[in-house]
Amino acid sequence: MPKLSLMFDNKIVREVPVGGRPVTVGRAPDNDLSVDNLAVSNYHAKIYYEAGRMVVEDLDSLNGTFVNDLRIERATLHDGDKIHIGKHTIKVDTSGDAPLPWDTGRKTSAPRINETMVLDTKERRQMLQQAAAMGESMQFAAARVKVPTLIVLGGNTDQKEYILTNRLTVIGKSAMATVKLKGWFKPQMAAQINQRDDGYYLGPGDKVPKVNSTPISGPVRLNNGDVIEVSGVKLNFIFRE
Amino acid sequence: MGARVRIACGGVTDVGRVRSNNEDCFRIVMPQNLFVLADGMGGEAHGEIASALAVETVVKHCLDQEANPAAQVIGAVQPNWSARTKRLSTAVHLANRKIFKSAAEHPEQHGMGATLTAAWIDHAKLSIAHVGDSRAYLLRGGSLLQLTRDHSLVAEQVRRGVLTVAEAEESDMQSVLLRALGAQPEIEVDAEEHILFPRDVLLLCSDGLTRMVTEPEIAGVLQAETDPVRGAEELVALANDRGGPDNITVVIVRLLKDSKGWFSWLRRGARKNQGSNGNAGGK
Repeated sequence: MPKLSLMFDNKIVREVPVGGRPVTVGRAPDNDLSVDNLAVSNYHAKIYYEAGRMVVEDLDSLNGTFVNDLRIERATLHDGDKIHIGKHTIKVDTSGDAPLPWDTGRKTSAPRINETMVLDTKERRQMLQQAAAMGESMQFAAARVKVPTLIVLGGNTDQKEYILTNRLTVIGKSAMATVKLKGWFKPQMAAQINQRDDGYYLGPGDKVPKVNSTPISGPVRLNNGDVIEVSGVKLNFIFRE
Repeated sequence: MGARVRIACGGVTDVGRVRSNNEDCFRIVMPQNLFVLADGMGGEAHGEIASALAVETVVKHCLDQEANPAAQVIGAVQPNWSARTKRLSTAVHLANRKIFKSAAEHPEQHGMGATLTAAWIDHAKLSIAHVGDSRAYLLRGGSLLQLTRDHSLVAEQVRRGVLTVAEAEESDMQSVLLRALGAQPEIEVDAEEHILFPRDVLLLCSDGLTRMVTEPEIAGVLQAETDPVRGAEELVALANDRGGPDNITVVIVRLLKDSKGWFSWLRRGARKNQGSNGNAGGK
């Protein structure tokens, strides 16, 4: 099992195994390797496994974290590497088996991997611009805004066309349906269209709708120009530019 | 003010198999039929503070409606929304301000935030308000319909056509949110109204479920297990079986066929219609 040896004056002070859970180093007593030295920040660095490799990450410490005498923010570790923090050295031993699974309940406020973060507005704008630029170069991004629309080709409805603005569009007799079917024997909810990240999906309700004359067994993604038939109504799904 | 639908509901929150603290939080408020779920973030115990603050603020503001119906509406609202939807959306704005203020006043809370997904049912009308990547789904007619869109970088990239859904699921950027409570002094809140039908099943869940369990599996459990608490436990167990890397929270709300409530009126109407002309309108 991989382990870390905290050394001072060439003597091993403490050894800890490295498992699925990160090992934290710092002056605060709740660190896995707490180092009582003023040159060490309260939460100085952490060492953990990522994609099968041991990684050390400096936690914005005042005096820095060094691997083999090079100051690092984050570095992959190899067997025999030496991490220098203040006057202490941590020797890396990656021999042994794969990391143990996370030992749950060992500690109340363990640091976390894969932490959720929020981009601030500036960063966010940049990343989205990059994403959009990427999209354009791949000929994917929409040149103009496309408005998903249902055009009534036949049947009795309350309007001749509908713009899909909600995440969920109900086709049925219900008073709150978007596409209101008129007539006595219409189902309250004949079918529904769900807007998802990658497009609009038609799903069955009390009836099984047909898309381009084929009955659907589950939700299907609608393409521009598809013809939907349900409960005596024929609708054309288009993206209007 | 009656929220007269017969429903069965239940929720489970679980720390998962990897983390040592649970930053998820949920509240079910009966008989007002209010369901609120939040997933906190931030170091130490601050994620827990953020999610609890978010849930408490939303619940308090919504329950205060009867005592103080004329409370100011905050943020963009659509004029055709019901008072409840406006109230719910306002409550989410308030929760954002509270978390932001708390983080600004306590430097050690810097960076704390929370997602929030809330549902409020009044008769057959469902109001949803949402920020972040916790989700609301509706199981209806055997299909799982997603009522919220994640405010995450990868979801935005899918919407822009840069990533496919499959690529987004593999991405190591899944944890990057574009919107969360507490990150900005003011935010945009997604809110919408939907109609509910008998036998609809509403699901609120944190990303600890949706990253580990596929939608067909979720739909399968919701269809097979009619007890909401057992259903929630089953979904949590599925996520844990796959490693449970994150906290998992599941709230299930089932709309029952009611012989006395609003839906029976609907069904009586339907029966009357059928009766007037044999089985012509039946299936």
